[in-house]
Amino acid sequence: MQRYAINIFFLVAAVTLVGLAQAGMLDKYVLTVITFMGINCIFAVSLNLVNGYMGEFSCGHGGFMCVGAYAGSLLSVAFFTNSKLFGAALFAPELAPFLFPLVLIGAGLAAALFGLIVALPSFHTRDDYLAIITIAANYIIISIVENIDAIGGPRGFSGMKKVVGLMTDVANVPWMLIWTIIGLFACVMIIYRLMTSTYGKGISAVCQNEVAAEIMGINTNRVKIMAFMVSSGLAGLSGALYAHVYGYVNAQAFNILKSTEGLVMVYLGGMGSISGVLLAAVAFTLLIEVLRFVIPWLNDVLHATGLLAVNYELGQVWKWVIIPLVLILLMQFRPEGFLGNRELTHVFPRLRRWITFR
Amino acid sequence: MPLLEITGLTQRFGGLQALSNFSCCLEERELAGLIGPNGAGKTTVFNIVSGFYKPTEGSIVFNGKRINGLKPHQVTAMGMARTFQNIRLWNTMTVLDNIRLARYAWLNYGFLSAVLRTGRYRRAEKAIETKAREVLEIMELTEYAEEFPKNLPYGLQRRVEMARALAGNPRLLLLDEPAAGLNSADVEGLIRHIRWIYDEFKISIWMIEHQMKVVMSLCRRLAVIDFGCTIAEGTPEEIRRDPDVIRAYLGDGAL
Ligand SMILES: Nc1ncnc2c1ncn2[C@@H]1O[C@H](COP(=O)(O)OP(=O)(O)OP(=O)(O)O)[C@@H](O)[C@H]1O
Ligand SMILES: [Mg+2]
Repeated sequence: MQRYAINIFFLVAAVTLVGLAQAGMLDKYVLTVITFMGINCIFAVSLNLVNGYMGEFSCGHGGFMCVGAYAGSLLSVAFFTNSKLFGAALFAPELAPFLFPLVLIGAGLAAALFGLIVALPSFHTRDDYLAIITIAANYIIISIVENIDAIGGPRGFSGMKKVVGLMTDVANVPWMLIWTIIGLFACVMIIYRLMTSTYGKGISAVCQNEVAAEIMGINTNRVKIMAFMVSSGLAGLSGALYAHVYGYVNAQAFNILKSTEGLVMVYLGGMGSISGVLLAAVAFTLLIEVLRFVIPWLNDVLHATGLLAVNYELGQVWKWVIIPLVLILLMQFRPEGFLGNRELTHVFPRLRRWITFR
Repeated sequence: MPLLEITGLTQRFGGLQALSNFSCCLEERELAGLIGPNGAGKTTVFNIVSGFYKPTEGSIVFNGKRINGLKPHQVTAMGMARTFQNIRLWNTMTVLDNIRLARYAWLNYGFLSAVLRTGRYRRAEKAIETKAREVLEIMELTEYAEEFPKNLPYGLQRRVEMARALAGNPRLLLLDEPAAGLNSADVEGLIRHIRWIYDEFKISIWMIEHQMKVVMSLCRRLAVIDFGCTIAEGTPEEIRRDPDVIRAYLGDGAL
């Protein structure tokens, strides 16, 4: 039972959600929010590998999501649709649901490759420098994408709606929800299994005492590069899912604000805790959605009570006042995040009957 | 052929000459000591030998191979292990995990095996687990396997660090002040453990130690350094009577 707890949890979640969606009990909006929750979970858990488990400070995670989003979009358009860019489809449209994992894997590999390119020069430097280099990488990636006219440049890239449509033609189920759940499951499994293996514990060893890690025979540079590649690869996976849910990608969606969202989720959840970061990603997605309604409501209330100047409208940009505020309050009152570096099983020992995080 | 041969080692840190022309030889199956006053350069010798510092000059030959310029993890993989003057354990990992990680240099599986939990992965992890538990057993640490090092008393932490070094099956073990901070009962235990390790594992040990009781009862040969230069070499008895050593430790007025 313990061994399969994660698997069972995901299976139940998937069956329930897909069942509810099929029964028409989840409207399109709710479905999209749930899907984005999953995507944010992947994004945050992958960042947690570097910023939590490894204790480095990467600030440009959005860049790798961008690489994955574009790589995934290009692959799926090339595979399944006739396009100006790639010509005729490579595979028959009925194959779309079966070959879609290739798109996701390809996106992950592309992002991991970019992770390698960023990691190679930057791990000879330390802490603050990595932060700066990753921010720079984030900007560079976006500039590159925006300057390639063939993939739409600053206008963005689309065509993925068609691919999702092809999948729906084969079977009318909420495909992107299903792929997101599968992607999240894969992501959690990869990180869980990595961090419970001696190989992956090298990451924690490097984080806690690099000198001791070196002397105990751990090639610390290699460990760091591996962790960085896995982390950016999984961010790429989240990007590919994102692109297909929206049906459209634009490089600016993955700018420094996206990276910041990732940081907020990781620090909210507690660095180095898979369950904490998952909780935080869910909470954060909900918060963003709630703000979508609360800000206009607040705007009305403030206008009605005359507290706000008549000619000033409280817009959605205030999101970026409220979210950092949440982060500041958190750092004041609970600097270690929801769970610190502990897992849910440490906070609620009874859960250990079902699952262990070792 | 000596196991470790250090010749003409010189180390400068900016203007400070921490070591000058230090030479030393360690035979297979030796249990030797390196002593000297504070700041003499003892830890610097260990740091160079284990690959943390690149010496300004000099050569180090370990097991017939020149090792200067190698990274610490490469030196470790060649069969050298060490402990630190200030304990360096991984505090948020259990004692057992600390020991397991000492097998890292010999891991024969990679990322994909770990994630897919292949047969190779399972066999490797099983072997590591067995080895780690064996070492814990030998070092009388089995009951602390699931504890976190930071929760253990100082003496036990030192023992865990030694166990971790041994888990890599070294041919040469470097101990940097293993008795520092131990009470006299712990020191007795330490002497017993070191002698036991030396006899049982059939390895060579080179230790830095301030406490005369430890060096005198364990080492058959001592080297003394002061201000980065070797000032004496010999058996503990000879060293104890050496006027240069007495002067280095107690100052000129002592004679
Ligand atoms: N990385 C470094 N940079 C600059 N100076 C250093 C460095 N490492 C050691 N030193 C200096 O080299 C000299 C020798 O230091 P070392 O640590 O080898 O002494 P030690 O013999 O181990 O002393 P102790 O008994 O206090 O441990 C000291 O003066 C120390 O300040
Ligand atoms: Mg020292």
